[in-house]
Amino acid sequence: MLSIEGLEFCYGATDANSSFPMCFDLTVNAGEILSLIGPSGSGKSTLLKLIAGFNAASKGCIKINGQQIQLLSPAKRPVTMVFQEHNLFPHLDVYTNVALGMNPSLQLTVQQNRAVDDALENLGLAGMQKRSPGSLSGGQRQRVALARALVRKHAILLLDEAFAALGPAQREEMIALVKTMVEDQNMCALLVSHQPTDALLASKRTAFVHHGQIFKIDETEKLLNRSDLTEINKYLGA
Amino acid sequence: MSHPSRSGYWVLIVLALAVLVPLFSLLTQGNSSDVVGLNFWQSHYLRQVLFFSLWQAFLSAGLSIALALLVARAFAHHGAFPFRSLLLRLFGLPLVVPSIVAVMGVVSIYGSNGWIPLGRSLYGLNGILLAHVFFNMPLAVRLLLPVWQSIPPHHWQMSEQLGLNRWQQWRHLEWQALRESLPGISLLIFMLCLTSFAVVLTLGGGPKSTTLEVAIYQSLRFDFDPHQAVSLALLQLGLCLLVAWGSSLFHKLPDVEISLSNTPLNTGIVGRYMNTFVITAAVIFVGMPLIAMVIDAFNNSILTVLSNPGLWLSAGLTLLIGISASTLSVLAGWLLLSTSTDYAMLGKKRKASVIEMLGSVVYVVPPLVIGTGLFVLLAPHINVFEWAIPVVILINAIMGLPFVVRTLGPAMRQSKMRYQHLCENLALTKWQRFKTVDWPLLRKSVGLSSALVAAMAMGDLGVIALFGTPEIITLPLMLYHQLSAYLIPNAAVTAVFLLGFCLSVFWLLEKLIGGKTNAEY
Repeated sequence: MLSIEGLEFCYGATDANSSFPMCFDLTVNAGEILSLIGPSGSGKSTLLKLIAGFNAASKGCIKINGQQIQLLSPAKRPVTMVFQEHNLFPHLDVYTNVALGMNPSLQLTVQQNRAVDDALENLGLAGMQKRSPGSLSGGQRQRVALARALVRKHAILLLDEAFAALGPAQREEMIALVKTMVEDQNMCALLVSHQPTDALLASKRTAFVHHGQIFKIDETEKLLNRSDLTEINKYLGA
Repeated sequence: MSHPSRSGYWVLIVLALAVLVPLFSLLTQGNSSDVVGLNFWQSHYLRQVLFFSLWQAFLSAGLSIALALLVARAFAHHGAFPFRSLLLRLFGLPLVVPSIVAVMGVVSIYGSNGWIPLGRSLYGLNGILLAHVFFNMPLAVRLLLPVWQSIPPHHWQMSEQLGLNRWQQWRHLEWQALRESLPGISLLIFMLCLTSFAVVLTLGGGPKSTTLEVAIYQSLRFDFDPHQAVSLALLQLGLCLLVAWGSSLFHKLPDVEISLSNTPLNTGIVGRYMNTFVITAAVIFVGMPLIAMVIDAFNNSILTVLSNPGLWLSAGLTLLIGISASTLSVLAGWLLLSTSTDYAMLGKKRKASVIEMLGSVVYVVPPLVIGTGLFVLLAPHINVFEWAIPVVILINAIMGLPFVVRTLGPAMRQSKMRYQHLCENLALTKWQRFKTVDWPLLRKSVGLSSALVAAMAMGDLGVIALFGTPEIITLPLMLYHQLSAYLIPNAAVTAVFLLGFCLSVFWLLEKLIGGKTNAEY
């Protein structure tokens, strides 16, 4: 389980990003995908960066299965993040990109090699081991990134607009893959998306992030139909 | 990444010591009672040298820019010109060709026995202008062409739809894009001509055609007057700082890296003929001296020159200087950029650009000024000529640093922006990251930087002329001695040898270090 308590952060005054103070409180259960929606600059990606350790919180704590991780370096956190683009190293083939997730030294045991192959097969990438990322479609590249997440077996999966560049059919397909992965590995996943349909497809619960806070968290369908909250209506253009 | 790398600060400290200490020694000498008195500052000689330095730089820059505007426009309009990309690569050659070799090329064409003999009038302002335009016009074309390429294709289509004629297109599209970059590019070319050494040293004709840069050298090596050299070096430094300050007021320079392909514009039949004429004339102007020099090299002296062990010893020394300076410069550049890109990642972009700017600031300090400072500083304590090689390597490495920052910087910044978080998330150690990610992605830029700095250091004549001895002779210095002694056939062979040597080392370093083209998606 992932729990975030009073996690505070503020970008520097000179930073191009918003400079308002952010404070997050949140719980995500094992096996759950929680979607984060909200306007641009509201703090959705910042929250993921705080969990991954790319930004350092000034206050508060992040617990994974009861263990505090906010003081750990990004490398030591049991977190895998999938970005919108540049998830793969362009000079390495598909197999090596996934193998890096298993062991950064790339000295893999026989079992580890098999695990990489299995992950690729599970994600429909069998036979593509030697392909370069440049020769893959956008959807295939994101599958490779998911395959790497699969072999890492980390408790937390963060998806930062990971499917934003894909078409509706591919997005649906990728979300289905993520759901299976999360259920199979009992992960906690956070999915940042600008598409309410993604939230509907992926999550039972969705959080609306506004001005650096979790403004409202509810069942996805309910949240998207809240006509009494002007912030959500404004965001959805209702 | 919570803390940025500190390595760049160490580079800046070493750089500050290597540049500021010689400058400080010049300033303290300049304040000492021994320094040349008021008479020197009011002397006709100084006025003449100062006037000629500025006049030749003004004319050279003006001519180079005027011609480059025509040629760049022709290239921009004629996107389908045959061998366009090859010709644009040819225009990159003067960046790698040693200036003393270019002088030899100019002599081969316009010298007494050349294809278009100018006789004695070659030596003086005419020759200097020809050589400077040969060097700087292609550079200006490569700097100006991206400005044309920055005009969105839709604007051209819109202008055609609106029925704008050529003059109106120039006024509303091209000039608007150019006016931001032109002052900066002009001042850069002006600065290069102001600090040009080898060209003026060999083609300048006595006191009437001497620049400050050459006067410094003459004061130290011929007049044995360090005090006069100090005064001249301070004056030269002041001028360079003034020009650099002027440049900083204008829009930043576009990248020299240009797109070699382009969409052809509808220029009409007359326009196409005009463009073809302009490009052909420019190619002949740039290519002819090189071809003439190669032809001249096949003479009776070829075997004598090539069998001279001195040539091979000089080649070895030249290579040593080139490779050492390049290694030092690239290493320093890498460390400096590691720090600046770390700051950029943390959102401290101003700090990042200040670090890179400090690394490039040596660009405004002519190498001969640093050399003079070191000469004056070290001469009372040690035999400076015994330290010639390390000093030449150090100064050339410093002078190469701005090129490394400019070539490697964008690639390193992009790589860090794209993959820093991914590498941290994948828990790669520093070594794993270097081996698996940074090196494969950056080796192409490292190869180009190394090749560029090595070629520049191998072709340098300024610092080695100051510190060289009969035992320590690089190929450019040997070529200069042959040209000074009017051993033109020998000089032609040495020049082609040096040119081939520089190009081979450039090509080899770029291929060996750069490896295969980076994958991209």
